[in-house]
Amino acid sequence: MLFVSLRDLQWRRRRFTIGVLATGLVFALALLITGFAGSFHNEVKRAVDAFAVDRWLVPDGASGPFTSAAVFPAVVADEVAQVTGVDAAAPIAVLRDSVDLGSRTDVNVIAVTPGAPGSPAVRSGDALSRSGEIVVDASTGLDVGDELDVFGETFAVVGTTSGITYYAGTPTVFIPIEDAQRLAFAGQPLATAVVTTGAISEFDGFQVLTNDDTIEELRRPLGKATSTIDFLRVLLWIVAAGIIGSVVYLQAVERTRDFAVLKATGTTNRTLAIGLAVQAIILAVTSAAAAVVLALALSPVMSMDVEIPASAFVVLPIVAIAVGLLSSLAGLRRAVTVDPALAFGG
Amino acid sequence: MTTHVQIRDLVVEYSSGGYPVRPINGLDLDASPGEVVLLLGASGSGKTTLLSILAAILTPTSGSVRVGDAEVTTLRGAALTRYRRDTVGVVFQAFNLIPSLTALENVEVPLRAGGVKRKVAKARAKMLLESVDLAERMTHRPGDLSGGQQQRVAIARALAHDPPLVLGDEPTAHLDYIQVEGVLKILHRIADDGRLVIVATHDDRMIPLADRVVNLTPRADVESRPPVRVELAAGAALFAQGDVGDLVYVVESGEIDIVRTRDDGTGEQVAIVKPGNYFGELAPMFGLRRSAGARATEPTVVTAYTLRDFRERFQLVTPTETLANAAD
Repeated sequence: MLFVSLRDLQWRRRRFTIGVLATGLVFALALLITGFAGSFHNEVKRAVDAFAVDRWLVPDGASGPFTSAAVFPAVVADEVAQVTGVDAAAPIAVLRDSVDLGSRTDVNVIAVTPGAPGSPAVRSGDALSRSGEIVVDASTGLDVGDELDVFGETFAVVGTTSGITYYAGTPTVFIPIEDAQRLAFAGQPLATAVVTTGAISEFDGFQVLTNDDTIEELRRPLGKATSTIDFLRVLLWIVAAGIIGSVVYLQAVERTRDFAVLKATGTTNRTLAIGLAVQAIILAVTSAAAAVVLALALSPVMSMDVEIPASAFVVLPIVAIAVGLLSSLAGLRRAVTVDPALAFGG
Repeated sequence: MTTHVQIRDLVVEYSSGGYPVRPINGLDLDASPGEVVLLLGASGSGKTTLLSILAAILTPTSGSVRVGDAEVTTLRGAALTRYRRDTVGVVFQAFNLIPSLTALENVEVPLRAGGVKRKVAKARAKMLLESVDLAERMTHRPGDLSGGQQQRVAIARALAHDPPLVLGDEPTAHLDYIQVEGVLKILHRIADDGRLVIVATHDDRMIPLADRVVNLTPRADVESRPPVRVELAAGAALFAQGDVGDLVYVVESGEIDIVRTRDDGTGEQVAIVKPGNYFGELAPMFGLRRSAGARATEPTVVTAYTLRDFRERFQLVTPTETLANAAD
């Protein structure tokens, strides 16, 4: 009896197509915001991993190296370097500035000691080696040889990194710490964190964070954003369910006489319900396929990074089927409660 | 395949506007295989209701309906589905074909729903459509078929499971006279194959087709008969609401209370008829059942007239005049 449902979809193909496009768009939006959330999640790990360090030390009471601006003398790093288990230690300063990248753009400014732990690996060009140099993330759009004004001084771009962003795609630039101290700390030899290679478990007056601690702390400010995205995603599922439910319910209403005739001629409620459920599933799964195409096509034109996890592509059709079945319940109920007596009369 | 139909004391009552209505009240009917039984009657006379009961779609208020060995009124669940599928085929008034399916697929539907394999179902559907002269139109959708062709598809669908009982609900209602002829021939052929065909219609053109005509519209006695004097004790009922009405009454002495019964059993007084006045003329005139009951409030004498005698006596020549003089 599946052929009756398939024929009906063919018969109402315009509505089916509109339903697929509308639901597909909603599913695509759900995929895209999942991609935004994925980007928020992944960029933090990438940013922290880019430092290639083992431990992060911040003053007691500071929340973390990226989320607190508590300063202390940079020489603390020398003392940390003496602790057993530490291979090397260096001060860093985590700052922010807005720069001119064609338009005013916020950037994360990380001040590091050239050649010491915390200096990023470059994708192209050279690592920092002296004052006046800057390494920028490729997301700034700058390349080796360009110049960039940071804290009112012009730096020469000597290298670029890839994928080092945080705070929802905010690009990161690296400058020598001596320049940061001169420009941001009025020449005082201060730092906001010490990074080490090798392990250290405690240091007086400081709290020691692992990379995982740091990642978790850096994700915290985006907690509301990601929970909002999760909420929006649920809303989008509901909208999709609404569209599918409306289409299926409309089919059920329009096919009331058909259902009455089918029941009057011996078709069971179960068969009718399965037929309508199949329509909902076909609509949902086709929409999910359209959503994948749409999301992949739209991702490159988004101003923010979109990193859709592979699992989302697996989950989407499953969720789509669940959404389709749930949303078709009203239509199913109508179909099974149709009075076969409606088949009689003119 | 042969199946007898036996209906006993069938009553269907439903509520309409707060009053109980009995389109079928105590119907008895026997029909045998090979017969074409015509249910004639005006709208609301219970034709379609009776078909719905025979199709096991409507449960009557009381009475017995036996089709073959099955007591239709007690069928439930899988037995009900089996009965609808295997025992009875219905040809609906508005054809009721599924618009998205071709003629062939429409006939296949009940077969596939009954678990018949696709190839077998297709072959049988083809054979049935050929039998109703639609071999050339199998792949057409209902929208591309004439009314007569659609009705023939509907007949083929009704025969899908080779049911012993075929019901037709106003099968010629939407057809012109040329199409009617074709459908009538097919219905007769179906009965000749040993099936029992019961057709509800108000189309007189179908009467020659029938082996038996069951008129569900109450008919007034049009013959002239001597008036009948009826003496009623206080509280005695002359007729009840829902009765077939064939006489008009004139109150000679005493008093008649005309009361309409509501759904909840309470009564609503319609009129009190005093000596010299008449009542009960509308039911015989229009072929309706009594819309209210009549009861004597005191020892009363009334005279009963046939409709023709009543009109002559009261000089009411036309129904319009009678209606204008009606008490209610």
